[in-house]
Amino acid sequence: MDLSVDQLKELLDALDEGGAAEFEYEDESVRLRVTMARGAPIVSAAPSAQIASVLAPAPAASPPAEAVDDPDSAYITSPFVGTFYRAPSPGAEPFTKEGAQVKSGQTLCIVEAMKLMNEIEADFPCTIVEVLLENGTSVEFGQKLFKVKKA
Amino acid sequence: MFDKVLIANRGEIAMRIVRACRELGIKTVAVHSTADDDALHVRFADEAVCIGPPPSADSYLNIPNIISAAEITGADAIHPGYGFLAENAEFASVVGRCGLTFIGPKPEVMQLWGDKVRAREAARRFGLPLLPGSDTLQNAEHAQQEARRVGLPVMIKASGGGGGRGMRVVRELKDVGRQFESATAEAMNAFKNPEVFLERFVERPRHIEFQVLADSHGQVWTLGERECSLQRRNQKLVEEAPSPAMTEKLRVKMSNVIRDAVRETGYTSLGTLEFLMDDDGSLYFMEMNTRVQVEHPVTEVVTGVDLVVEQLKAAAGEKLELPDTRPWKFRGHAIECRVMAEDPERFAPWPGKITEYHPPGGAGVRVDSGVFGGFTVPSNYDSLLAKVIVSGANRDQAINRMKRALREFIVGGIRTNIPFHLRLLEDEEVVSGTMTTRTVERILDARQAG
Repeated sequence: MDLSVDQLKELLDALDEGGAAEFEYEDESVRLRVTMARGAPIVSAAPSAQIASVLAPAPAASPPAEAVDDPDSAYITSPFVGTFYRAPSPGAEPFTKEGAQVKSGQTLCIVEAMKLMNEIEADFPCTIVEVLLENGTSVEFGQKLFKVKKA
Repeated sequence: MFDKVLIANRGEIAMRIVRACRELGIKTVAVHSTADDDALHVRFADEAVCIGPPPSADSYLNIPNIISAAEITGADAIHPGYGFLAENAEFASVVGRCGLTFIGPKPEVMQLWGDKVRAREAARRFGLPLLPGSDTLQNAEHAQQEARRVGLPVMIKASGGGGGRGMRVVRELKDVGRQFESATAEAMNAFKNPEVFLERFVERPRHIEFQVLADSHGQVWTLGERECSLQRRNQKLVEEAPSPAMTEKLRVKMSNVIRDAVRETGYTSLGTLEFLMDDDGSLYFMEMNTRVQVEHPVTEVVTGVDLVVEQLKAAAGEKLELPDTRPWKFRGHAIECRVMAEDPERFAPWPGKITEYHPPGGAGVRVDSGVFGGFTVPSNYDSLLAKVIVSGANRDQAINRMKRALREFIVGGIRTNIPFHLRLLEDEEVVSGTMTTRTVERILDARQAG
């Protein structure tokens, strides 16, 4: 599969219109993964070693920045394996967003596992510095969900 | 065939399952605790999902997280390995209810064979030999009567629990009454239940087990026996196939009886029936393990059958195509040594970082390992690092080859029981094939005294 930028735009439009949440394609030369989310779709493409020089590098999803060692900084991580949701239901307002001041015990998100909606609560009062994952992302135990600053 | 299998285990068996899946073109998902972030099978599996912190209860035994991991990765089957949730009928049931295939027997059959009392009943029904024993002993006279009927020596045991409490070995008829009273009192104290029964006591048993494999089309294969008498504190150290104590006649007889018991109870997948062998060569059924066993490679080596591959095929509903295993044919002799991260003198576990790692190789040597150079062996799980399996044309050659192989096995940075294995392989009883489950104890006692 050889994709030009225009073809990639067309693909993304088609996916968006069709309501797809995720798209993955793999052949001998490339592995392409698109995750549709609220904002811009995240596209990552990994060209195989042989043709890396031929294909133009596609925009890759940037990994969360490493935290500077700051005693007031912390990460809220997932204690469950499941799917990360920012709001109580599709279309509803997210539980929290960047810049929000959060109280101890306040619900920040849901990690859904086996149809059970596990609410993840803040253990201490803090401010949400960064929401690290897109809605609907699969998470594992210990996965960082939010970067926060202790109040 | 499955598209993707989730491996709910760790260490060498997880790697073993990855290998079998690879050969069948099945994608693999490794689930792991944070202590195993860098584990071998995590690196080699196609995908990995962290399911919890180091403690087993929060990770490898965490059913919700394991099922969720299968859900988010789209796995269609779960292989439980051995230990952890492998013989947990509830887990097998949950897996099925979530629309996934559990690689093992059906939950009801697992429950039947996993329950000691029900398993004995099934064994009796199908003619599997059982240790002669009694029902609950009513009083000292009844105990005496039963002891005479069953035949001395006997062990008086508490019905309410184990752990060595409420247990008395009686070798002479005149002691039965007194020991009955003593055992009853101890049982009452320990379990609030004074009930005791008795069964024949085997002084120096050999541990003999039979491997079975069954598919969902009614086909059952018995793949011969293994001897696992070299144990320390009920943990196997060395296993071999065939057993030097087995005769062709007994093997065929047992295989037929076992085959019936397995088929008639609707058993599928891999399983192992464990027996004690008395010094007169009589076998007594103890229990059935409804999973793949640690020592399965010795059977693979002498039969040429890849047990995990066949187990996966059977779980996927395929009709297995294996040759008829009657009449019996083993190829040569195989021995396995379990290399553990422990001090070879005191057997204290020795977790830590492996600095150098060079496993043995060469003719007739196979190593199933869960570790590599640079890996930090966690302290939270059992200490099995790797299994060294050798094959030889005969038993002497296999022993010789194992000694050669163990001497090449370099594991730096931690301690292992390799020196103890070398000691075992020099022991007269081991060399002559006359060992029993008391052999290791004897060697250790002698070492202590000496």
